[in-house]
Amino acid sequence: MSRVPLLVVGGFLGAGKTSLVTHLLQQSGGRRLLVLVNDFGAVNIDAGLIAEAGGDSIALTNGCVCCAMTGDLYYAVGDALDRNPRPDAIVIEASGISDPARIAALALAEPDLSLAGTVTVVNAEEIGALLDDPQIGAQIAQQIAAADLLVLTRTEHGPTEAAGERLAAITPAPQLAAPFGRIDPDLLFGLDPAAPNAPATPAHHHHADHFAKWTGDSPAPLPADRIRALLENPPAGLYRLKGWITDETGTREVHRVGRHLQLSPAAARSGSQLVAIGPSGRFRPEDMAALWREATAG
Amino acid sequence: MSETIIYTARRILTMAPHQPVATHVAVRGGRILAVGDVDCAAPWGGGRIDDRFADRIMLPGFVEGHAHLMEGGLWRYAYLGYRDRQAPDGVWWAGLTTNEAIVQRLRDVPGPGPAIGWGFDPIFMSDQPLSRADLDRVSADRPVAVLYSSLHVLVCNTVALKMAGYLDGAEVDGLIRDGAGQPTGELREMAAMFPVLRRLGVDFRALTGGAAVLAAFGQSARRAGVTTTTDLFSAQTEADLAELQTIVEGEDYPIRLVPAIGVTEGDPVELAAMMARMAAKSGPKLRLGAVKLMTDGSIQGYSARLRWPGYVNGAPNGMWNTPPATIRALVEGFHSAGVQMHIHVNGDEASEVVIEALAGAIAKGGPRDHRHILQHGQLMDAAQFRRAAELGLGVNLFANHLYHFGDQHYALTVGPDRANRMNACRSALDAGLNLAIHSDAPVTPLSPLFTAWCAVKRQTASGRVLGAEQAITVAEALNAITLGAAWTLRMDHQIGSIETGKFADFTLLDQDPTEVDPMALKDIAVTDTVLAGRVTA
Repeated sequence: MSRVPLLVVGGFLGAGKTSLVTHLLQQSGGRRLLVLVNDFGAVNIDAGLIAEAGGDSIALTNGCVCCAMTGDLYYAVGDALDRNPRPDAIVIEASGISDPARIAALALAEPDLSLAGTVTVVNAEEIGALLDDPQIGAQIAQQIAAADLLVLTRTEHGPTEAAGERLAAITPAPQLAAPFGRIDPDLLFGLDPAAPNAPATPAHHHHADHFAKWTGDSPAPLPADRIRALLENPPAGLYRLKGWITDETGTREVHRVGRHLQLSPAAARSGSQLVAIGPSGRFRPEDMAALWREATAG
Repeated sequence: MSETIIYTARRILTMAPHQPVATHVAVRGGRILAVGDVDCAAPWGGGRIDDRFADRIMLPGFVEGHAHLMEGGLWRYAYLGYRDRQAPDGVWWAGLTTNEAIVQRLRDVPGPGPAIGWGFDPIFMSDQPLSRADLDRVSADRPVAVLYSSLHVLVCNTVALKMAGYLDGAEVDGLIRDGAGQPTGELREMAAMFPVLRRLGVDFRALTGGAAVLAAFGQSARRAGVTTTTDLFSAQTEADLAELQTIVEGEDYPIRLVPAIGVTEGDPVELAAMMARMAAKSGPKLRLGAVKLMTDGSIQGYSARLRWPGYVNGAPNGMWNTPPATIRALVEGFHSAGVQMHIHVNGDEASEVVIEALAGAIAKGGPRDHRHILQHGQLMDAAQFRRAAELGLGVNLFANHLYHFGDQHYALTVGPDRANRMNACRSALDAGLNLAIHSDAPVTPLSPLFTAWCAVKRQTASGRVLGAEQAITVAEALNAITLGAAWTLRMDHQIGSIETGKFADFTLLDQDPTEVDPMALKDIAVTDTVLAGRVTA
């Protein structure tokens, strides 16, 4: 059975996590998303809305993450994996104080899951003050450091350069301004084969300029050391990288999101195929192409 | 009119100031009719003398103000702790001090299926770290897993590692490897543990609720002499309240239960309305209406929020499980609605934030008889206790920590001087506060006499005395595990002392805690408990 992608949506209270998740549901493009929602959340996602968008939800009644005694979140993911059929993807809206890295760690540990990424949502108007707060600042910085992609909300009212600089000082993860959490779901899920019903062209053209994509293909086995170097040090702005690489030792499935690289054994192929994606303006496909040429040059 | 039974005891320590010692207690209709000598019931027409406790010491039933239902759930697995411990079914399980003994006990777990153990605590063990190789000696074809007492770590055998795909060279945070790069079997934190737990069918959620867990919890408490206790971060919902009511209010259920509903966020107005609906379902044995709030984490896990100078080993400050702004909003909302709050505060920054939040809320009005309780309060200093007293708060301090984690606190977490003032029962009483002390079972074993011993002797597992100046007397400790804890549950008018009119809840001991060497407090045996006049079993 193929791995189910798990997307972690983190960020402090009021960052806009619920808006982003709601948007993903509305633009799911035929993917069956299963959303884990916190039942005590200040703004609950309406289960009806989720159902209307073709998704499903599991409500958690207990948002505490302090100890294993309340491992409800992990077990809810287990319940999702036990469903038949399994969802195409699982989305977890983390509670406002949880460290998204601890949830992402589950996707990296559990053989039935793959990590679709950790998206930390940041309220551009509030982030400076939050980071300066002596009580909560360090925890906010931890959420930002855990991100594979930073989504800035509340960007419609003024300049966001200051917020962007604060974030860049914490992590090189790509930043994407997305008022009301409107980001293109294909950036998060588009590379996954687990979306058989997805329309060939996105139904939401206004997003088309949100991300840039690169694809690479090589018919012959590649030198192992060079391809490994490329996978470990991709160009700036890359959010996800997926495909198969074949070297002298065999074929492996590649799944990179943010800084997490997962290589798993795969059925033997003769060549290699990779797809990369990142936010426009941050990710330059030509950089990736140059590195690919270097790695694959005879 | 129901029958009057007059129980005779060698001595009754009533905890009532006007008559601290007696020899007889008359019970009618589940309540105390009279206390005194053999003639105490004469004005009421006398009664039938019951001498079965004639050579026992009787105290009011103990009250454990901070425990969790999970205490009743873990016993379905093999007990592997260092200290002897009695299971809910009454069987005494000897403490295990070597890896070999652990292997032997796990071999005895009936198959087929996984062999699972719990309660293992490496800080007490002088043996080599328990490893996959040890557990492979339990079985080469059954999965085997050992849960640490903290539940944050497990060790498993090769079969279990293989089931989770952990032998395929996976790079997983928390999957510990030896010098040669091979997994040792140790898995740290839930993300790494979960793939094994899931495949072995270990569901923590099933350990914290349901009829079997409730039954075991009741027995576990009764055997420790506890007649009233809490589930202090309850996930109880209104929808399944009827089942809980039926079980707890049943005549055979051996304890009174006070669940405090866990809250970390949400609209306090809506939540207060829900609490009022739940409170209306309270009966003589099941009490609802209070909430439990979380703030920081734990000191030994370095997740408690500390004031300057922080952790002595340089670890960064801990984490909030509820951010301060949310704590303030919840505290204000619940206080103004008259909902009693039990608030988890381990580090002294957490207690400071909560005290200030309560001060702000109380200044705006709301009930004067709120009885909000600071739970754990492990690093509160004298000034915080005085401030808490000014606000009419109560404290329930984690005395058992002094023994179980005191050496770690001294050496690693907060250093000698602050370790010496941890769980400062003396300062709390001197500030005029109502004091309770607790086990946080299953974090540490449920046993109020052991908890009292901790508050009196303040000894760590290695025998070091932490802050002798913060010790309290045996009498004060006995009050803390009866009337003091009853106050924190808003039940001191009904339980906690042996006085006319109160529920006839008693604990019988084989020795007098006020006469033994205080060092022996923890070794006194609980022989029986009585709930509402009925001897429980």
